[in-house]
Amino acid sequence: MKKLIHALLLGLVLSLMLSGISWADTIKIGVQAPLTGKYASEGQDMKNIVDILAEKVNAAGGVNGKKVEIIAEDDAFDPKTAALAAQRLTTSGVVAVIGTYGSAITEAAQGIYDEAEVIQIATGSTMVRLTEKGMKYFFRTCPRDDAQGAAAASIIKSFGSKRIAILHDNSSYSKGLAEETKALLDPSTIVFYDALTPGEQDYTTILTKVKGSNPDLLYFPGYYNEAGLLLRQKMEMKWNVPMLGGDATNNADLVKIAGVEAAKGFMFVGPPGVNDLDDPATKEFLATYKARFNVMPASIWSVFAGDAFNVIIEAVKQTGSTEPEKIAEYFHKGLKDYPSLTGTISFDAKGDRAGKFYRLSKVNEKGEFILQ
Amino acid sequence: MMDKRTLALFAGCILFGILPMFINPYWTDVLNNVGLYTILALSLNIILGHAGLFHMGHAAFYAVGAYTTAILNTQYGVPVMYTMPLAGLLAGIFALIVARPIIHLRGDYLLIVTIGIVEIVRIALVNDIFGLTGGANGIFGIARPSMFGFKIKKPEHFFYLIWGFCLLTIFFMHRLENSRFGRALNYIKEDDVAAEGSGIDTAYYKLIAFVLGAFWAGMTGTIFAAKMTIISPESFSFWESVVLFTIVILGGMGSIRGVLVGAFLIIGLPELFRELAMWRMLVFGLAMILMMIFRTQGLIPPPPRKYDVLAYLKDAIKPSAASAEGGAR
Amino acid sequence: MEEFFQQLTNGLAVGGIYALIALGYTMVYGVLKLINFAHGDLFTIGAFLGLTLLTSLGLTDHLGAFAGVVVLAAMVIVLVGLIGFLLERTAYRPLRNSPRLSAVVSALGASIFFQNAVMLIWGARPLVYPHNILPKTIVSIFGMDVPLVRIIMLGTSLVLMYALYYLTHKTKIGAAIRAAAIDQGAAKLMGIDVNRVIALVFCIGPALGGAAGVMVGLYYGQISFTMGWLYGLKAFTAAILGGIGNIPGAMVGGLLLGVIESLGAAYISIAWKDAISFLVLILILIIRPTGLLGERVADKV
Repeated sequence: MKKLIHALLLGLVLSLMLSGISWADTIKIGVQAPLTGKYASEGQDMKNIVDILAEKVNAAGGVNGKKVEIIAEDDAFDPKTAALAAQRLTTSGVVAVIGTYGSAITEAAQGIYDEAEVIQIATGSTMVRLTEKGMKYFFRTCPRDDAQGAAAASIIKSFGSKRIAILHDNSSYSKGLAEETKALLDPSTIVFYDALTPGEQDYTTILTKVKGSNPDLLYFPGYYNEAGLLLRQKMEMKWNVPMLGGDATNNADLVKIAGVEAAKGFMFVGPPGVNDLDDPATKEFLATYKARFNVMPASIWSVFAGDAFNVIIEAVKQTGSTEPEKIAEYFHKGLKDYPSLTGTISFDAKGDRAGKFYRLSKVNEKGEFILQ
Repeated sequence: MMDKRTLALFAGCILFGILPMFINPYWTDVLNNVGLYTILALSLNIILGHAGLFHMGHAAFYAVGAYTTAILNTQYGVPVMYTMPLAGLLAGIFALIVARPIIHLRGDYLLIVTIGIVEIVRIALVNDIFGLTGGANGIFGIARPSMFGFKIKKPEHFFYLIWGFCLLTIFFMHRLENSRFGRALNYIKEDDVAAEGSGIDTAYYKLIAFVLGAFWAGMTGTIFAAKMTIISPESFSFWESVVLFTIVILGGMGSIRGVLVGAFLIIGLPELFRELAMWRMLVFGLAMILMMIFRTQGLIPPPPRKYDVLAYLKDAIKPSAASAEGGAR
Repeated sequence: MEEFFQQLTNGLAVGGIYALIALGYTMVYGVLKLINFAHGDLFTIGAFLGLTLLTSLGLTDHLGAFAGVVVLAAMVIVLVGLIGFLLERTAYRPLRNSPRLSAVVSALGASIFFQNAVMLIWGARPLVYPHNILPKTIVSIFGMDVPLVRIIMLGTSLVLMYALYYLTHKTKIGAAIRAAAIDQGAAKLMGIDVNRVIALVFCIGPALGGAAGVMVGLYYGQISFTMGWLYGLKAFTAAILGGIGNIPGAMVGGLLLGVIESLGAAYISIAWKDAISFLVLILILIIRPTGLLGERVADKV
């Protein structure tokens, strides 16, 4: 009996190890994302978007005569698992890796990709220092905290707010954005600055405290879930202070969670959201997505993954090669204003996404997001 | 001459030792992680396995060690390997301060308090306490360790560092088990009150168990920090403590071999299950339940200590023979 | 001062939910000496099941708001109770005679299993309960604006808690539960079918958790597959605070924890709120090692 169990276990292990072998002669593109764990919805969306785009490319005959193969690895929003995922991808023969979500998680994998000379395009990591290390194979299609912070600060100033309350959720993205924005505002105008715990649902205590400081604007550079809850509970307290969010609040579910009445008047700053992209190719893509998964992508971050995929394919096509060296060079020098899902993409010398593309939007009484 | 078993063990170790030359860096890294968790689980084993203290906050000690190394290395330029004893020391002191007031708590109360401790530590790290910890972004740019001038960079190098340290740990734990201290801990685990009645200062021994376990975990934190080169609060959550706790219980409380096998399973299985993508953790949860049902004592429970009474009596009658009391098997 | 009372009320409302979930922990612990780590996930399952039942059966459309909610709660209570029963049968009963900690690991495994099951069945992103079911009226008490629903929530929690207390202290089956909690062996000798008692406890405890899940879903609106973790941990903390195994203790612990959290956030720091709660817990346990109301189980000497 014991022998049988041993044999079975061995067989299982071997089969799992060997099943990683895939078709030769495809162009392998890796996706590192949180497929399980707290941010599973982001990671799964990322993978879904890339999968759809890859299918389209393959249906049209592939790139340079070869089919595209997507290899997705779970990093569970954990640095250790991310490092292992990175190790696995770099030994799978991928040309480039799309991902990941979460700055600390991206950073854990960054060194491994750089050493293995594999291109990494981060899609949900806004921490400034990621592109300050001079890594030539590292790029990102998502904005950086300082650029976003500057956009938010200038919009806040344009409101003429004199008493600003800032709440963040202590995550790398949210705190980073809050800090960058705060740094550019006049210190005497900030009356409240603290963090809430994401994942909880009752924010009445926090709102009561913020209300006590009498702000004329509440800035919350956090996620749409908490933003929705804040809006709803704020209304229950009969408190009408205007609220401004960051790009991660841009999600149709925000209105669902808060209710149309509470969401009315909510504003946010950010790159265009999934719903305001007018490019016909983008609209077609979104329609395909919706048809297959019944919902729109949850947030802008997963759409940045689609952008990453598109630029990789473009680079391979234009350079006729899958050498990371050549692709990196193309990204730095050749790619100019490439039209993609969230707008046009170019990379600057540091690998950041170039160009200004922040806009202010407001929710109207029907619950729609209207660009200002 | 060496008997067959020791020979087989020896051969197994040599084979294991040359593995990195044949397998790709990913699997080497998996083995590295297994090694790290083995060392950590062995350090928890002192507290949970031997002393029977319900401790689910071990990640806190690990965190103190890792962050000590990170801060000393990035802010003050102290070479990584030199920070190791300091990391252990600080973790030990932290354990002393924290465990002292709660050492007399019973079972499940101790459990929740240790969970509370690990959460408090994590929150402190995220809130950038003393401005030192870098908040949610953590600390980056930790240098690689170098031993005798050789810089340890690749997974293969870390393999030897980690497993070398692991061997050391196993040796140390083995000696500890068979020492007076180890026996006292086991007595406390079996029956707290009787142990106190027999004259063992239970509070003292429990505290030492905590400090020792923390010290070892702290040092492991150094290796972890050097290997990852960045550390962030995510790596030291309550979930990490759960993983360590599970390894010790699953492997068999108090058993070194059990902990080793447990680490291989708990860390190795999710990696093997990667093919299952989103189903990975579901299957893992199920596997945990099944493993406990089918091997409730743990996979390799510690063998009961055997004392050869007859031999003892014979020695007592013939006082000339100099032999210690039996021997723990 | 007004802010103080407002925060106090805020805390009590959340505390009511912690208390409900804590009841499930404490009941199971009392009888089995097991910390059912999967309890928080049963709460989550209750919330998600509730949403599916609500939207697919259109309960409130057909029955009106009040009746619809009551029926929904009843259905969820039955279903989650059933799941709790199955959980005990498959994951805990085989471990009845094993070292305690083995069951804890099994509970952890069950927690992982349930959480991921919810993720795979309902998807990874948060879902939202329909908005218009609960009344939106805001009443004014001593000059504070309190949504009526919060009062209803707290009231419902208290009613359920009292019902449980009544069950365990004033009925025969309750006496059986308490007897099994004190000494399983002796209870068996007295002719009590301990297996049935345990099965019953595993129906009631999780059922309460499931009901709490529906309440949370209806009131806060948003539910996610990871919410069980945070609520579960807090509820467990509340149960310990009051004295694990002690039913009134779970009530007191839950409410107290809610208030501590609220006041801690309001007067010290929001970012450190959870750390403060844990710190208070540790301090209380140092002074009173068996929780505020003490344990119901005699300590052996």
